[in-house]
Amino acid sequence: MPLQVVLQIAVSGAFMGLVYALVAYGFQLTYATSKSINFGQGELVMVSAFVSLTLIGTGLPYWLVVPLGLLFGALLGLAVERAAVRLALEQKSEGWILLTIITGLFLFSFAENVWGRDDRPFPTPIPGDPIHLLGVDVTGLELSVLVGVLAVMGLIELFKRRTLLGKAFEAVSADRDAGELMGISATRTVMLSYALSGAVAALAGILVSPITTVGPTMASAMILKAFSVAVVAGLESGFGVVLVGLVLGALEGLASLYIGSGWREAPGLVLLILALAVRPTGLFGKAVIRKV
Amino acid sequence: MTRTLALFLCSLACAWATPALAADTIKIALTGPYSGGSAPMGVSTRDGSKLAIAEINAAGGIPVGGKKLQIEVIERDDEAKNERGALIAQELAAMTDLSGILGSVNTGVVMAGDKYFQEKGLTKIIVPAAGSKSMTQWATPEGPKELFIFRFAAHDAVQAALVVAEATSRGLTKVALFHDDTNYGVSGRDDLLDQIKKQGDKLTVLTQEKFKIGDKDMTAQLLKAKALGAQAILIWAIGPEEAAVSNGMAKLGMKLPLIGGWTLSMSNYIDNAGANGNGTMMPQTFIEEPINARAKAFIEAYHKAYGVTRIPSAVAAAQGYDAMLLFAAAVKQAGSTDSRKIRDALEDLKEPVEGVIARWEKPYRKWDPADVTTHEAFKREQTVMGMVKDGRVVFANEADKARLQKRGAK
Repeated sequence: MPLQVVLQIAVSGAFMGLVYALVAYGFQLTYATSKSINFGQGELVMVSAFVSLTLIGTGLPYWLVVPLGLLFGALLGLAVERAAVRLALEQKSEGWILLTIITGLFLFSFAENVWGRDDRPFPTPIPGDPIHLLGVDVTGLELSVLVGVLAVMGLIELFKRRTLLGKAFEAVSADRDAGELMGISATRTVMLSYALSGAVAALAGILVSPITTVGPTMASAMILKAFSVAVVAGLESGFGVVLVGLVLGALEGLASLYIGSGWREAPGLVLLILALAVRPTGLFGKAVIRKV
Repeated sequence: MTRTLALFLCSLACAWATPALAADTIKIALTGPYSGGSAPMGVSTRDGSKLAIAEINAAGGIPVGGKKLQIEVIERDDEAKNERGALIAQELAAMTDLSGILGSVNTGVVMAGDKYFQEKGLTKIIVPAAGSKSMTQWATPEGPKELFIFRFAAHDAVQAALVVAEATSRGLTKVALFHDDTNYGVSGRDDLLDQIKKQGDKLTVLTQEKFKIGDKDMTAQLLKAKALGAQAILIWAIGPEEAAVSNGMAKLGMKLPLIGGWTLSMSNYIDNAGANGNGTMMPQTFIEEPINARAKAFIEAYHKAYGVTRIPSAVAAAQGYDAMLLFAAAVKQAGSTDSRKIRDALEDLKEPVEGVIARWEKPYRKWDPADVTTHEAFKREQTVMGMVKDGRVVFANEADKARLQKRGAK
């Protein structure tokens, strides 16, 4: 197989991998503050994409729809936190696992009933024509994924390090009880993390829809891979998910080239099993010593 | 006074109850996916059939046993899910007064459900599911001697023959086969391989590439085909994934002909592929062009009845319409709403039926397990090659168009 083809397949796969990384980053945000994960994150991606599509349908320009979509995602994240997570956390129970799954199922049925079950194209002013870069064809859409993912993750990381609110976020992530003693409201911080997580999910939806179309099932395959990425990378490192996402995406493409297109999903699962067996905290995770 | 009132109420109640009693209508079930990726086909088939039913009912109905009966429709959405299909089939098979069933888009749904109709002796016309297995499952030595299942669709074997012939006639020799991993995709791939062999191995299959429903990144599969030097892609899948293949080709700057099953004419292929879909070719039984009076009347009636300017799947709509006409003709000939008698009539239709696709003369014969075509209505000559052009399907070859135009002139 010519090197150029291998390279093209790896690069195209890696761009899809970035989307997995973005969704995985959404898992990380909420896990950091509350040690909980929204198992309905995929539905947040999907519903936000549908809402953005509806907004575009009303004639709003794309550049206005993106922030509105993100805002909607953030609100949806807050709603999930209020409905499915807060009570369970207050009771120190694991109820959020089932509750977030149920919220996801609810959103899925909601989307099916409101928007129907068809896959629809997502119009965008970003050109889909290929650009030739270093011997590889890349589309503007794929570049927009790259830019969008890195920009948002960079902004959130900056926010966490440079602002007072961000430092509160980090403090609660490090030690919830100590944070509370310092006068930081843990509840508010968890709310903030869910809002951010929702906005990140919405961005993933908006970025990936022009490539994959919008439909109720658009995120169901993506979410499993994002989960693999989050577990393999560890639930702490933002840099880690990007790297693992890129590698996983590229591996998927290469697997389908060398082993056969039926084996596309295999690398993600193999990585997941390996990670769980060898490094349960993830490649970039820190082993936590629990003091008793 | 009370007595009169009671009598009046009673007679009112009786008048109310009578239509529900026994055979005052001909009950026909329409099934198919009315939502999801196959919905354009399911909805168009149903609406095509309902158009025929509306016309028949408006003309007074079908004469059965001395009076004219109206057709009553029972609709079920199988969501293209095999298990839903099985459930619906069981429900319909349990009804006592059903005359027959029309529908099914998905081969998997047919495989899951049709055995219940066969066991019960209910006549079903499969329309427009094209997967070969839907009918060949019965054509085995130990299969039934009497079959209640008919098909009204250009089945995959006929379509694959046309696809392979088209590729060969374009002077292509090296192709890549793309298919999804559903029953439809896999059996379509087998039909293509089979036809390539039958037509003298003029095409070399460089690679067989598979994908799942929902896969939207086809880069790896496409590049492999490109690197191996494929001159065309032959595809068997459904609309959304086929659109992903076309869009992927555009991204990679691949300009290869895409030829495949009739699903390439579905609106969810055409809409999602946009300009990248231009030039794609697929077998069609009906093309939404008013080339003769019958086609014109049908297209206009459909547009008007359902408020559209393009039929989501013109092939499915026309087949749904013609299949309903055949069924109605069988009811009329049988003079009964009994499904077994209707089956007998379908196997031996005395009068030709003037459909929108063709004039159907004895479309079916007595079932012969050794010859599946006894219950298949479509032959190669009722199938033409269509091509996507600016969001619509047009004739790929002018010769076909001219031939069909002549039919109207006769």
